[in-house]
Amino acid sequence: MSRVRHISLDLILILIPAIAGCQGGGQAATFGESFDDEAADADADGGLDEGAYAEPRLRILLGRQYVAAVGDLLGPQAAQVASVRADVALNGFDAIGAAQIALTSQDIDIYEQSAGAVAAAALATPGALDAYRSCVPQEPGDLECMRSFTAAFGSLAWRRTLDESELTRWSEVGVTAALDFGEFDKGVEFVIAGMLQSPNFLYQVEIGEPDLDNPTLRRLTGPEVATRMSFFLLDTTPSRELLDAAAAGELDTVEGVRAWAESMVLDPRARFAFDNFFEEVLYLRKLDETAKDVGTYPGWSPYLADSMRVETIALVDDVIWIEDGDYRDILTADYTFVNEALASHYGIAYPGGTGFQKVTLPPGEKRGGIFGHASLLSLLAHVSSTSPTLRGKFVQERMMCTSIPPPPPGVVTDLPSGAEYKTMRERLAGHQDQELCASCHSIMDPPGLGLENYDGVGRFRTMENGVVIDTKSDLDGEPFDGAAELGGLLRERSKFSLCTILNLYRHATGHVEQPGEIDRLIAVDESFIAAEYRFKSALVELVASKAFRFVGEQDQ
Amino acid sequence: MTTRLTTSIRVAGRGMNRRTLLRGLVGGSLVALALPPLEAMLNSNGTALANGTPLPRRMITWFFGNGCALKDVNNLDAGLRFAPNGQGANYDVTPQLAPLQTAGVLDYCHVLSGFDIKAASEHRRGHHDGCTFFSGHPFIELPADGANYSSKFGGPTIDQVAANAIGGQTFLPSIQLQVSKRIVGSEGPTLQYLSHKGPDQPLPQTANPQDAWTKLFASFTAEDDPATPHRLAALDAVREDAKALQMRVGSADQQRLEAHLESVAQIRSQIAALAPMCTTPGLPGETNGDIDGNEPIVAVNNVMCDLLALAFSCDITRIASIQFTGSVGYTVFNELGLNMGHHDMTHDALRNDDVDAATIYTMERFAYLLAALRNTPEGADNLLDSACVLLGSDAAAGLTHSTYDQPCIVAGRGGGVLKYPGIHYRSPTSENASNILLSVLQTVCPEATEAGGTLGYSNTPVTQIMA
Repeated sequence: MSRVRHISLDLILILIPAIAGCQGGGQAATFGESFDDEAADADADGGLDEGAYAEPRLRILLGRQYVAAVGDLLGPQAAQVASVRADVALNGFDAIGAAQIALTSQDIDIYEQSAGAVAAAALATPGALDAYRSCVPQEPGDLECMRSFTAAFGSLAWRRTLDESELTRWSEVGVTAALDFGEFDKGVEFVIAGMLQSPNFLYQVEIGEPDLDNPTLRRLTGPEVATRMSFFLLDTTPSRELLDAAAAGELDTVEGVRAWAESMVLDPRARFAFDNFFEEVLYLRKLDETAKDVGTYPGWSPYLADSMRVETIALVDDVIWIEDGDYRDILTADYTFVNEALASHYGIAYPGGTGFQKVTLPPGEKRGGIFGHASLLSLLAHVSSTSPTLRGKFVQERMMCTSIPPPPPGVVTDLPSGAEYKTMRERLAGHQDQELCASCHSIMDPPGLGLENYDGVGRFRTMENGVVIDTKSDLDGEPFDGAAELGGLLRERSKFSLCTILNLYRHATGHVEQPGEIDRLIAVDESFIAAEYRFKSALVELVASKAFRFVGEQDQ
Repeated sequence: MTTRLTTSIRVAGRGMNRRTLLRGLVGGSLVALALPPLEAMLNSNGTALANGTPLPRRMITWFFGNGCALKDVNNLDAGLRFAPNGQGANYDVTPQLAPLQTAGVLDYCHVLSGFDIKAASEHRRGHHDGCTFFSGHPFIELPADGANYSSKFGGPTIDQVAANAIGGQTFLPSIQLQVSKRIVGSEGPTLQYLSHKGPDQPLPQTANPQDAWTKLFASFTAEDDPATPHRLAALDAVREDAKALQMRVGSADQQRLEAHLESVAQIRSQIAALAPMCTTPGLPGETNGDIDGNEPIVAVNNVMCDLLALAFSCDITRIASIQFTGSVGYTVFNELGLNMGHHDMTHDALRNDDVDAATIYTMERFAYLLAALRNTPEGADNLLDSACVLLGSDAAAGLTHSTYDQPCIVAGRGGGVLKYPGIHYRSPTSENASNILLSVLQTVCPEATEAGGTLGYSNTPVTQIMA
């Protein structure tokens, strides 16, 4: 299929920084503004010159999705004994790795053993399989009854109806085992264990079909939309009701998809799904492997690190799900959530009670929003010092979707140290003096230098090596000082809301958006803005957009 | 799979006791997997199996991240604190090589210097480019377009080239082990993993010695388990599903499903295999958990090396990779009184001596591995006589990120393929580092004629170290 690629001049300009480096008056930093110029022309349902869609790829269920799917199919006892392969991240997302990485023998070994344990647990749990049983076996090798079970379990586990050869193949596995053991349910056990190892379960399979209204376009089939929606919004396999709706054609229209998405974001599981998303986007998962030098930072412990993770998730969760507020409040909130350990870490009074309690931020520390959280400040730091570069890179790369090219080859990446360099700002000054380094470090270091009042574990400080730290800095030229002001600047940047949509899209579809897809995502961002940055509405708008419901063809 | 096993069946036909075989049901017929080379099966000289089959050859790749200290931080041309000044045999022992002498394994070590990683020159990014040493293929840079930088390997690492050729002769084609847990996962598999079957098949390594023990010594199916044929039948049905799906997807996914099918076949043969008749060590107590925030590096390294030597001795696998510390890894060498992550330290000129201390510490751990192999007899020889161990890093030094003259040792006699005693060979012409890979590969695959690809391609081994 050939289609005119819609690549505007603006988009070409956007792509230049990623290719050519940061040179050119901070072009990398103007990336999002260029998107905004495009937005005026964007049309949610696309025009005739619609940009090309990306090739869909088989996507391995993420570890957490695999476990949740097992639980939904076979009950919590089964989920408890499930084991998972390690997700592999590419471009910062496990979902992108899941669309490119091939399963190794180690993965298959894990799946094989997990499936056996899961099936045995389901068989041992009364009632766990009732939904799939519609007949009483007349003998251990009752083929008809085995076919009935296989069809019922398979259609839910594989998110689609089985064809005749699949039904025959898998009921034979069941009957052979049932006859060998003299017990029908032994056959059922091997059917379950086997079908959970099938690529039809382990991957989200998205092939699509020609759109009847516009045969040059390719839309996901109803069951494929149901599957993509459910794993994205709820981190689990689609329910029987959603699959039935898909079979009835309800997901063939944008109205139908929107209606289902609106109800799914109210499902409590959506909260957990996006807790997971934010743990990935904000790198919070790294906290459980973040090491600190206990000499420099006494009191650092796995428990404290995990408390930090919970604090940030609690704030995001509060803004999105409890307050249903402006998503950008995560950047500026003047309150947070602490347990006793964190309260002591921050040096603030714990209000009493148990667990995490809502507290107002202490005055005089310039805190506000997630950039003042010990979580980000700790994981974006070194073992025994801060790292303004890591902190600034995070702001640019993860919050504004600005790619930072690698340091040029042959550059000695040494930071000066010694008695004459008291502060990190002095040590990093060389980045700004050397032209080769300055092109990127001039956008990376300053956002971090403005956070130097927070040490490598997020505690407030005003001095470093006996010298008062100068924390006046800038974000791409706009001045700020401290976490709250940085958050305040970022929340007004259009790049921030667009980058939120892009990150959601990368996670939802397992690929970095391609140039042809940008207009559709800008349109989603516009709807997000129009909804006053309600995160739930971003989810619904993204799912309802053609960006989510349509695909390209697989390259042969 | 069946083809690869034919040789072993012939071995089995020489009147061996059935109990010495790894037997199982593969493809519906009884076959035997490779034999553990027990003393009873050796010839009278202990130099081969009684039927003339040579003793197994083994290969290990061994990685430490971030390179070595510089001789002089103000004169980059002065080179690294690593290689000797003299060349040939009886080279002078630098402080970095001294742990090998202390362990009595220096004679087994070829030091190779002055090589250039030609595969690193296609894309330049610190550490990512240096990692290409282990495959000889330029790495693949994923387009970022506003997302995080990421890369993956451009081709299989040399251990996986070997595993692809000879891995089918053992229960596990290869094993991937890890010591320090302070590794970087945010820039893709290149930095995160040492072994790669191909660009889309990084092989995660095992950091917990208990998990390594389970993989190596406790994953065998009980001989009389009635579930076994049905597990195999389920895998056969999975294979049919995967083949049917291959017909519906594009070429990239067809290849991924092909890899999936190979993995299914591998696990199928592992389920079908029976336990080897050799002494199984007890479950180690070490789990590689931090103690007061510090990694138990020495303890983990020792138990991993001991398990690997036993696994080689039992012929459970012949190929291993060990990621001692990570690329861009932030291991803290707290036993040396250091409190900085290794990567940061290697990028700080004032810490050059600390970097050097970390290198020497690292070489002490490497020496333990070589000694563990040397201390395990096999017939008239020992495991280090049959093995080839390749040590390398991802940069010459953190300060320079240079991929010229990265630290490199080729240890072991490779079953007689490598010269003994070892020499220091300094390439006078900045030879392609993939030449080293080819030499290493030829110790286990004598028929191999090439290694790496495109810019990193080599068909010329380092003859200076070959016997």
